[in-house]
Amino acid sequence: MSENGTPSERELDRMDVHELGRVGARLDDVEIVDDHERFTPGSPAERRAERRVAAWFALAALGGVAFVLVYVLWPWHYIGVGPQRTVTAWYTPMLGITFATCVLALAFGLTAYGRTLVPPDVAVQQRHDGPSPAVAQRTAAARLVELEHQTGLKRHRLLRRTVLAAGTAFAGVLTVTFVGALWRSPWPAGQLSPLLVTGWRSPNGERTYLRTDTGDPHGVTLVRADDVAPGGLLSVFPFRESERGDPDRLATVLRSADDAVVLVRLPPGIAVVERAGQEDFHLGDLYAYSKICTHMGCPVSLYEQSTQRILCPCHQTEFQANEYARPVFGPGARPLPQLPIAVDECGYLYARHDFIEPVGPGFWERDPRG
Amino acid sequence: MAERHRRPSLRRRLRHAVSLAVALCLLGGVHALLVPTAPVAQADDPALVREGRALYDGSCITCHGTNLQGVPDRGPSLVGAGEAAVYFQVSTGRMPLAEQGAQAQRKPPRFTPSQIDALGALVQATGGGPVTPSAEEARPGEDISRGGHLFRLNCAQCHNFTGRGGALSDGKVAPSLEPATPDQVYSAMLTGPGNMPVFADSQLSPEEKRNIIAYIETVKDTDGASPGGHSLGGFGPVPEGLVAFAIGLAALVGLSLWIGSRQ
Amino acid sequence: MSGDGVTGRGYRPHRRTPTAAVARGVERRFQIAGLFRHQVNKVFPWHFSFLWGEIALYSFVVLVGSGVFLTLFYVPSMDELVYQGSYVPTSGLEGSRAWISTMQLSIDVRGGLFVRQLHHWSALVFLAAVMLHMGRIFFTGAYRAPREINWFLGVAMLVLAIFEGYLGYSMIDDLLSGTGVRIFSGILLSVPVIGTWLHWLVFSGEYPGEIVVERFFIAHVLLIPAILAGLIVLHLAVVWYQKHTQFAGPPAGEGNVVGNRTLPVFSLHSVSMLLGVTGVLGLLAGVAQINPIFHYGPYNPTQVSNGSQPDWYALWLIGSLKLFPRVDIAVFGRYTVPAGFWAGVAIPLVLILLLLAWPLVDRLRTRDRELHNLLDRPRDDAARTAIGVMALTFWGVLTVAGADDIAATVFQIPLEGLRWAERGALLILPPLAYVITRRVCLRLQRSDRDALAGGVATGIVEETTEGTYRSVQQPFVGVDPEGGEHPPRYDGARIPKVPAREHAEGSS
Repeated sequence: MSENGTPSERELDRMDVHELGRVGARLDDVEIVDDHERFTPGSPAERRAERRVAAWFALAALGGVAFVLVYVLWPWHYIGVGPQRTVTAWYTPMLGITFATCVLALAFGLTAYGRTLVPPDVAVQQRHDGPSPAVAQRTAAARLVELEHQTGLKRHRLLRRTVLAAGTAFAGVLTVTFVGALWRSPWPAGQLSPLLVTGWRSPNGERTYLRTDTGDPHGVTLVRADDVAPGGLLSVFPFRESERGDPDRLATVLRSADDAVVLVRLPPGIAVVERAGQEDFHLGDLYAYSKICTHMGCPVSLYEQSTQRILCPCHQTEFQANEYARPVFGPGARPLPQLPIAVDECGYLYARHDFIEPVGPGFWERDPRG
Repeated sequence: MAERHRRPSLRRRLRHAVSLAVALCLLGGVHALLVPTAPVAQADDPALVREGRALYDGSCITCHGTNLQGVPDRGPSLVGAGEAAVYFQVSTGRMPLAEQGAQAQRKPPRFTPSQIDALGALVQATGGGPVTPSAEEARPGEDISRGGHLFRLNCAQCHNFTGRGGALSDGKVAPSLEPATPDQVYSAMLTGPGNMPVFADSQLSPEEKRNIIAYIETVKDTDGASPGGHSLGGFGPVPEGLVAFAIGLAALVGLSLWIGSRQ
Repeated sequence: MSGDGVTGRGYRPHRRTPTAAVARGVERRFQIAGLFRHQVNKVFPWHFSFLWGEIALYSFVVLVGSGVFLTLFYVPSMDELVYQGSYVPTSGLEGSRAWISTMQLSIDVRGGLFVRQLHHWSALVFLAAVMLHMGRIFFTGAYRAPREINWFLGVAMLVLAIFEGYLGYSMIDDLLSGTGVRIFSGILLSVPVIGTWLHWLVFSGEYPGEIVVERFFIAHVLLIPAILAGLIVLHLAVVWYQKHTQFAGPPAGEGNVVGNRTLPVFSLHSVSMLLGVTGVLGLLAGVAQINPIFHYGPYNPTQVSNGSQPDWYALWLIGSLKLFPRVDIAVFGRYTVPAGFWAGVAIPLVLILLLLAWPLVDRLRTRDRELHNLLDRPRDDAARTAIGVMALTFWGVLTVAGADDIAATVFQIPLEGLRWAERGALLILPPLAYVITRRVCLRLQRSDRDALAGGVATGIVEETTEGTYRSVQQPFVGVDPEGGEHPPRYDGARIPKVPAREHAEGSS
């Protein structure tokens, strides 16, 4: 062997695979500590071990075949009713079970194979965490300094600054191109921001009625004062007669994010506290509050008729329905905005005007005074 | 208040009486024997009211008072509560209460159906109120998906997507709808038991109520026929997360222990 | 073995097998024999906890595979259509195309529900594995120099993965996920000064707008996965280049790696792990229902279910929103900073920054500038372990708070009392966890030192010459490289607490 541990060509010629492997390992700073054969080759013990491993692989193959059979043959199409529905409901579980049988058996087989038939192959490799050789460090550092000279970046101050400016400008160009088109103003000039108004605001003075959702998006069912039983609640949405022929509008208002209102009739004999400036917003014992939580905007319609609380199911803010829906528990900080309601000559309920404050979650520009 | 409340129920009772008469004429007396008698007839039956009074004096009087007027801190007035409220509370075993606590729990009913009718007749005779729906009235409706829409709009915020129940304030819960029968659900909507708001027929029409019942019946997981395997209780991402750790990750850590252990 | 041409004297790679032909062809073109041998001979240390990162990696592989399948069916669109598929309880309802296409995939595509559930379970297990792996890195000090960069990459991937999971959950536009988007909208709005502008940037208008699902989609299937994949490659490349850490113990030391070579053992382990992860996820995907959007129905901002929750990895954010006191702060009497900002933006940001900066904080704490290849046993740095358990406790209380309405439902606990208990626990439990963990660690350290000094109890009692009895201890002996013996020193390796067999026998 030569001095650095590399065998000569001649020596290589005389080595078998095992020896060559050891030489290679040594060249990679690896020392094999343990690579003993776990069994005498060809022994009955080895054959037993082989059969055990092979059993896993056979199971995996069976699982795979079972998966394909289930996939193709099992009745899979959803059935809503009847005894057959249990069978079809088992389609996905059967897929999972056969899939897992195939894949897990393969995994177990491979693990067992590695543990019983493959030599342990325990090895120790040296790390080389030390610093790079001095010559590498010096020459690399020198090259960096030399680069500074070659490019003249140190001398040409003007160049440096203008290149920097150009680069910044280019980054700006990229940003503007990408974000510019996405940029929208929440405060459009000359009109009220959607943050401040809801569908209850009538643009032309037309009366806005309370309408319920019956599950038919195009049907219009208005609300009478005696429709809501004491201790009952109703989700209502804005409706104006001019929308009657507009099926799109009729459908979308039932999905709008800030128009939903809960109409509550307090049971008789409940003490009521009105909020200053909202004393005449109710109609008898009917109170209409925004359904949109003032914390994060979930719909609040969980109404406990014995405690008069309206709960938000997301973060459990509790609003006191008989005390202007002020929050009494949980993370929401503001009362639910109240909608002023009245009854028309035919007995139908309508909103006198929009909410007097923004509905839903708070935001920076929201006036903290109300 | 009470005035306004009584009017529709009178109308209802009249309507039931009329429809019963029409049914009798049309289908004849033989068929009439097979059809369950309408509750409205029972409410007026003095013998039934007397039987109800006897049962009431034995089991209810302590909390609801001698004249059904209620006892402060014990039980509410039953005047005007209606037969439907009695049916819901007693047939689900919530009344009589096991103990004075936060919330009445569902348990096996103490009274037989005929006894419940008698109690109902007594309460109905004292101030009226919503009457128990007949099996026909509470029969699941045709339009399941519209029922589902209304369920999500009016019911899911307390009872959860598939009626597994949910938390209310102060340790109260909206119960699971799994064990509830269609007529119990119908009665509950009519009367608003406990903390539940009232859903009068003017708020949810009888047909809408029946559709909601149809939806509840469809999504009950009684035969495990919900697509995609075990429903994990139907409570959504929290049990899913627990399973991801307790089964998924735990199994994989177990596998790593096996693979990574020295032979 | 003999006679196959492999073990015979004078072996030369002349044989004309297909493998040999390919190998020669590659070598002739890339001159790669040396490099190839070096990588095949590379040694990886062997410990079960080193496979936990692989659980995360392979969950990601399953996520990509199943995700590609799902994109063949999913339509990212908020256009409202009528669902007309086979699922009766929602047929005839209006919903967005996103929800309807996912319904079609789940109900009317053979095996579609299986793959969708596989994808969702993989996401949950992926994040669980990421955090488990991260915990292992933290408690063993593997983030120390020279491996800080991989900690930073890891935290970046964790944050991206949480976003990625949230986007995937959200873009189906069912009633559960829509509620989650609503809360995201509320959090965006709560940011001081730029909140409403940020909201308009993301939603292109008022909530919910008409485009957010499309934007979530492209972020979920391209932007974030591409960044994640890039970071994963970088993460693994750094591990490969810097070589894996290991626990101390003869002969493992700072200067070497003791374990198995890439081929065959390490690869076998790795492939077994890949298959194991795939199999377990497949089993869950089949037998355990997840995110049943057919039960949830189409999103409608006016509807909601009790117990609406995010996936588990976002529960801590919800917990933070729930526990924060209800204070809207007025600024200059004109502007509002809603409580949601502190709970939904400020606190999570601070927690993530603390996590990210930990290797730097740790260096200030220990003034340790050495390079480390040997891992600590958690007990050996009691303060670090205590800090970790403290942080986990804080996070855990937030997570429990996020799920407390489910707990209140199932166990019928008053929510209000629970909420106050959680607020108290958030302040009291973490310091308590610190104190207890530290004491436990110190105690374990002492027991190790005692064992080293006094030896291991053999369970044998012998009679002394004075006629009294004493238990026989098997002493530890330190051995020099030269074979000389010296008193044992603690070097970070596990101390065996059962006697070595031959010694025990020898003393009897």
